[in-house]
Amino acid sequence: MSITLRGVSKQFGAFAAVDDIDLDIPSGALLALLGPSGCGKTTLLRIIAGLETPERGQVFIDGRDATLWPIRDRKVGFVFQNYALFRHMSVFENVAFGLKVKARRERPAGADIRKKVQSLLDLVQLEWAGDRYPSQLSGGQKQRVALARALAVDPEVLLLDEPFGALDAQVRHELRRWLRRLHTELKFTSIFVTHDQQEAIEVADTIVVLNRGRIEQTGVPGEVYDLPRSAYVHRFLGQVNELRVQWRNGRAHLGPIDITGDPALNSYGSERIALIRPHEIDIGDEAAGWPAVVRDVRVIGPIVRLELYADGRPASEPLEAEISRERFDAERFHIGQKVGVRFRRWQVYPADPVEHALGATRVAEPVAAESGLVAPRTASGTSAG
Amino acid sequence: MEAPALLRDQDVPTTRSLRERGSRRLEIRWGRYLLIAVALAFVAAFLLMPLLVVFTQAFAKGAGAYLAAVSDPTAWAAIKLTLMVAAIAVPMNLVFGVVAAWTITKFQFRGKSALITLIDLPFAVSPVIAGLTFILLFGARGWFGAYLQAHDIRVVFAVPGIVLATIFVTFPFVARELIPVMQAQGKDDEETALSLGANGWQVFWHVTLPNIRWGLLYGVLLCNARAMGEFGAVSVVSGHIRGLTNTMPLHVEILYNEYNYAAAFAVASLLALLALLTLAGKSLMEWRQPELKHGTRRKGARTEK
Repeated sequence: MSITLRGVSKQFGAFAAVDDIDLDIPSGALLALLGPSGCGKTTLLRIIAGLETPERGQVFIDGRDATLWPIRDRKVGFVFQNYALFRHMSVFENVAFGLKVKARRERPAGADIRKKVQSLLDLVQLEWAGDRYPSQLSGGQKQRVALARALAVDPEVLLLDEPFGALDAQVRHELRRWLRRLHTELKFTSIFVTHDQQEAIEVADTIVVLNRGRIEQTGVPGEVYDLPRSAYVHRFLGQVNELRVQWRNGRAHLGPIDITGDPALNSYGSERIALIRPHEIDIGDEAAGWPAVVRDVRVIGPIVRLELYADGRPASEPLEAEISRERFDAERFHIGQKVGVRFRRWQVYPADPVEHALGATRVAEPVAAESGLVAPRTASGTSAG
Repeated sequence: MEAPALLRDQDVPTTRSLRERGSRRLEIRWGRYLLIAVALAFVAAFLLMPLLVVFTQAFAKGAGAYLAAVSDPTAWAAIKLTLMVAAIAVPMNLVFGVVAAWTITKFQFRGKSALITLIDLPFAVSPVIAGLTFILLFGARGWFGAYLQAHDIRVVFAVPGIVLATIFVTFPFVARELIPVMQAQGKDDEETALSLGANGWQVFWHVTLPNIRWGLLYGVLLCNARAMGEFGAVSVVSGHIRGLTNTMPLHVEILYNEYNYAAAFAVASLLALLALLTLAGKSLMEWRQPELKHGTRRKGARTEK
């Protein structure tokens, strides 16, 4: 089942929760609505479900205008953040609910209902829990019951509101993988809401990044992560180091590093910032690069995070770099060590975070980066804002 | 000399602090006893003693007089009327209360806060005033008086008036009890049920009602207690016709004014008994509610993995 949104808007008082959204969701998609709290992602999900009516715009389901269809007619399964299991019903009765409330003509026979519920409980690996009550289950188990219950009525779209928000990390990881597998097996369209970029990247085929009720960017996870179209998206998907572009003698610099060739610096002297992810920072010999001192070393399983105090940067804004464990084991960086910092990649945006002009991605060619370096100490000492 | 002084320096504050801590614990304990004693004394003086008086006075002239007072035809009529009024008013307020609470908690609409305030109105208005408004509406010279007279319908000084007054006075109990419960539960369960294809009635019957049943029963009990005990509003509209429009509280008053204390207290004791039964029912429910929750847990000792 495909879903198309055209100019959908929803106000709550003076607050525009969803603001003029156009979105095409093809049949079979596994899509994440990603954004911080208050960005309108849950409202958008509820509009797709039919739990909210948009003030403007239309919702099309399989090409038919479904804007005013009630949720009952939309063939959607909705899973709430808190699971909303019926407390007074056993797990079996919860899953059977959607079948039992069908009109008599469509209602399956009792034996068929039992068979279907049992097969759904098998699917979510809770075949033993049929006569338990929700209060006797863990968070992850409740989540699976909620999923089984939603699947019982054969929805063509599965809508999930922060499906893994209330679970601990281990269970969450397991359930993410499980949801992906389920999606591949059952081939329905799934849309889930999350504020967790990691989750969106791990689970979804398509990510829609929302900001203040508007779509900031849509794309496959790798694209949204690697080619963010705005500083907002760049910041929201993963860690960033933020540096102000400094103009000296008609040339643009990040610290002592000359980036004048960057086409995103379209006009001389314009206020620009550069965002650099921790793994895009290269650490090398003190002589080659922006001189810095290692302030902290954190070994986090396969990666090692280094806090670097770069010359001329305020101590409150250390650079954060990530290197592989292998590299760390080979070179053994230690606190207090003097190193040279280089940027493998950076992206320049207008300094005003409200403006969303296109930021072009620069992948520094080794030669260009090399030649872009200004003699370290002297240049950084004169760091004029 | 230095070493002992040092020792003492350390020693003295320790014992002092220990003693302080001990006395503070004692203070807390005494404070607790005192508060419990005050509460118990208050309950005894203002709740138990009156109850005791009712029953001792009722039997002051012996069991024979008690039975005679209770089985008096006018007393019987009062008892029947009281039960009938409650039997009409409570179910109606049950329906009104559920509808009002549902409307207020599940929908957004203009005038919602006004509705919430209006529901509280019967609590704010003196019951006597409430009774008088019904006289002004339905009495011989009231707004609808002429119409009612022309069609030979008696509202005031008759059973319909008593029922109306009782419904008015007991209106808030169910809604007031349900609104916070339903607000706390939110709409998720209902919306889930809708997404699973349930219609409005199925949502209410299978999802909402089970979620609110305890609050609902509690509200009904309170409503019932007040319906049977209401005096002020009913007194104004009843007309005090013996054997016809006297409810139990009104009958008690009449007997009392006739210096027939034993009979008055005998009927009063029946009212008190009904109140006690209501309270017993309430405690039974409160006691059963957690039991019900544990009951479901009894079966499931096994946990996954």
